[in-house]
Amino acid sequence: MAAATSAQSLEHLVWRGDRLATPALPGRPTGHAALDAVLPGGGWPLAALSELLLPRNGVGELGLLLPLLANVPAGRWAICIAPPGLPYAPALAAAGVPLERLLIVQAESPAHARWAARQALDSRSCEVVLLWLADADMGALRRLQLAAEESGTPLILLRPESAARQPSPAVLRLALRPCRGGIGIHILKRRGPQLAAPLALALPWPGGGPRPDNGLEPPSAASPAAQPPPVGKHALVRPLPARSAPPGLHAGAQ
Amino acid sequence: MARGVEPGLGRASALAIAPELCLIDRQPALEHAALVDIATWAGRFTPAISLAPPNAVLLEVEACLRLFGGLAPLGQQIIQEIEELGFRARLAIAQTPLAARWLARFGCGDDASAPLAGRLDALPLIALAEGTPVGPDSLDLLTGTGHATLGEVRRLPRHGLARRHAQAVTNAIDRAYGHIPDPCPWFQPPERYLSRLPLPTPSDQVDTLLFGARRLLAGLAGWLDARQAGIERFTLVLEFERNSRTPEAPLEIVLGTLSRDMQRCQLLAREHLNQSHLPAPVDALRLTADEPRPLAPPDGDLFHGDDGQQGDGGLLLATLRARLGDRAVRCLAPHPDHRPEKAWRWAEPQPPERGRPLPSSLPSSPRPLWLLPEPRPIPAPPPWTLLTGPERIESGWWDGPEATVRRDYFVARSQDGGLAWVFRDRAEPHGWYLHGHFA
Repeated sequence: MAAATSAQSLEHLVWRGDRLATPALPGRPTGHAALDAVLPGGGWPLAALSELLLPRNGVGELGLLLPLLANVPAGRWAICIAPPGLPYAPALAAAGVPLERLLIVQAESPAHARWAARQALDSRSCEVVLLWLADADMGALRRLQLAAEESGTPLILLRPESAARQPSPAVLRLALRPCRGGIGIHILKRRGPQLAAPLALALPWPGGGPRPDNGLEPPSAASPAAQPPPVGKHALVRPLPARSAPPGLHAGAQ
Repeated sequence: MARGVEPGLGRASALAIAPELCLIDRQPALEHAALVDIATWAGRFTPAISLAPPNAVLLEVEACLRLFGGLAPLGQQIIQEIEELGFRARLAIAQTPLAARWLARFGCGDDASAPLAGRLDALPLIALAEGTPVGPDSLDLLTGTGHATLGEVRRLPRHGLARRHAQAVTNAIDRAYGHIPDPCPWFQPPERYLSRLPLPTPSDQVDTLLFGARRLLAGLAGWLDARQAGIERFTLVLEFERNSRTPEAPLEIVLGTLSRDMQRCQLLAREHLNQSHLPAPVDALRLTADEPRPLAPPDGDLFHGDDGQQGDGGLLLATLRARLGDRAVRCLAPHPDHRPEKAWRWAEPQPPERGRPLPSSLPSSPRPLWLLPEPRPIPAPPPWTLLTGPERIESGWWDGPEATVRRDYFVARSQDGGLAWVFRDRAEPHGWYLHGHFA
C-alpha cells in the first residue's frame, strides 16, 4: 500500500510519451483556456524557454501574450527585449497592461539583446521576459534555457518561422499563423504527444466588442499562407456615407 | 634600507648611497586629506572620532564594543577593512587618547588589558614629543640626566621638572596617564562625500580603474554607514594625465534605488567603466556623492535564507541602462492626442516598486497593438478586405501642415488573415497606407 502511494507521488517525475508531462512547477496560465488545456502544466512553462515562431511580425503574438503582460504584479517587471516594431501604448493600456511595469529594451545587436535577457533572468525581478531574436545558434539558446531554468522566470523567445527547422532546447515551441477571428497555433514541440490539428484561438477584440472578422475559422494544417484569400466574404460593420466613400470600399461592400 | 638609507639622512647622502632612489616630496595637504578619508570611513565603527594630525585618528570605542563583539574582533575588523581602503594602520588601544597614540607609534603590541601605567612606563622618551608641546630641549635635558623610559621620567620630582622649564613634560605625562582630562575636538564627517585617489601609474585598463574605484567606494561605505544613510547616485570622475589636455570625464552612476550596498555600486561602476571611452590614461579617480538620505539597515534574516523569489528590479534597470544607454531602456506611456503617432510617448522608467500609473489616453476606437513607425504606402485601392470604418481623424493643425493629420482609418483583413489598420489620406493624392497590426 505504502509502495503504491509513493509510486503515485513520484509519478510526476516520469513522463510517458503518450500523455502530457506534469512539470514540477505548474505553468503560468496563458489566459486562453483552450491553449492552457493542451499545454503541459496548464500554461506557459515557468523556469523554461518557450519559442513562438512567427511568419511575420504582427500575426497575433502580442494578442496571445496580452493576458501575461496584463497580470504583472506590482513591484515586478515585464520586459520586452528588441521588439521589431513599436508596441502601441494606447492599445496596451486599453488592454489593461500596466505600462509603468513594462520595460522596452532596444538592443543594437543580438548579442546585446541576449545579454539583456540574461540580466533580466538573473535579476529575478521579471514576471516574464520576451526576447525577439532573429537567429541564434544552439549554444546561445542552450545558455538562455539554462538561465531561465535557474531563475525560475518564463522566457519567451519570438523567432521567425524559418527557425522552426532548427533544433532548439526550448521545452515548448509554438508556430503561430494569423487566422480569421484570432490566431492559429501549431504546437511543434511540447512535453506530450503530438497534437493532431492546429489550434484556433479566438483573440478578444480590444474594447470588448465583437471582433470585426467574427466567426473563428480553424486554420488548415498544411499551409494557411497558400490558402486563397477570402474574397467577398467579409462583413461590413459600419457602412460608409456615400459622399466620402473611397473606391476600394464599394468594390468590397457590394 | 638594505644599503643604509635610513630616516634622518640628507637628500644628497641618500642619493649618493642609492642613485636610483626615487624621492617623493611630502605633501602635507594630501596627508591631511588621507586622514580625513580615514576618519570619515571610521564613522562606521563609532560616532566619536577625532583627528590627531599628522598621523593618527582617534576612535572612542568604549560605547560600541558590544556591537562589534569586544576589543579583539573590533581591532581585527578595523585593521582588515582599512586595508581595503588602501592604508596600513598600527592600532593601539588605551584608556586615554594620548596613551593610545604613543602606544600605536612606539609600543610593541602588548596586551591591551594590562594596567595602563605599566604599558606606558616601558615606552622610550621620544614618545613624549608625539602630539604634545614637549620640545627637543626638554628631551635633551631628560636624556642628559640619564633617563631612557617614561617610567623613569614619571618618578622624577614634579616641582623639579617644573623649575627646569619642563612643565610640558609633566603635563603630557598627566594627560597620558589619565591624571588630568584630555578632551579632543570631535571630527565632523562632511555633508558631501568627496574623495580622490591618485593612481600609482596612469592607466587606461578598466581593471586598474575598478581597483581604485573599489577603494574609494570602501570609504563611501563608511561614510554612509556612519549616517545610516543611502544614496541614489554618485559620480566617479576620471582625471586624465595632465599633459594629455583632456578634460576630466565624470561618470554619473545611478543606483536605481536608495542603497548603500557597495556590491551594487561596484557592479554598476564596472558597467559604466566598460562603456566609457577613455581618450587618455587616467591619472586619478575622484568620487563624489551627496544627498544621503536615511536608510534603515537591511533586515537580517534569522536563517540567512534566500528565498530567491523577489529580485531587485531597480538594480536590473540600472544595469541595463548602464550598458545599453538610457535611451535604449524605457517605458511606454499613452499621451492624450488624437493623432495615432502622437498618442504615445517614451517614459522614464521608475523602479517597479515606485512606479506610478501613467496618464491615460483619450477614449477611442480599438487601436492596433503594433504601430508602424512610419505609415507604409500600399496600393490603392487596397487589396485587403475592409471590415470596419472609417474612423475619421482630423487633428493637429496647430502643429503646422507637416504634423496635420486628415485620414480615414479602417480595420482591414490582409491576405494571410491578419487584421491590419489602414488609412486613406484625405489630402491629395488620397493614398492608402498601412499603419499597424491588430496582433
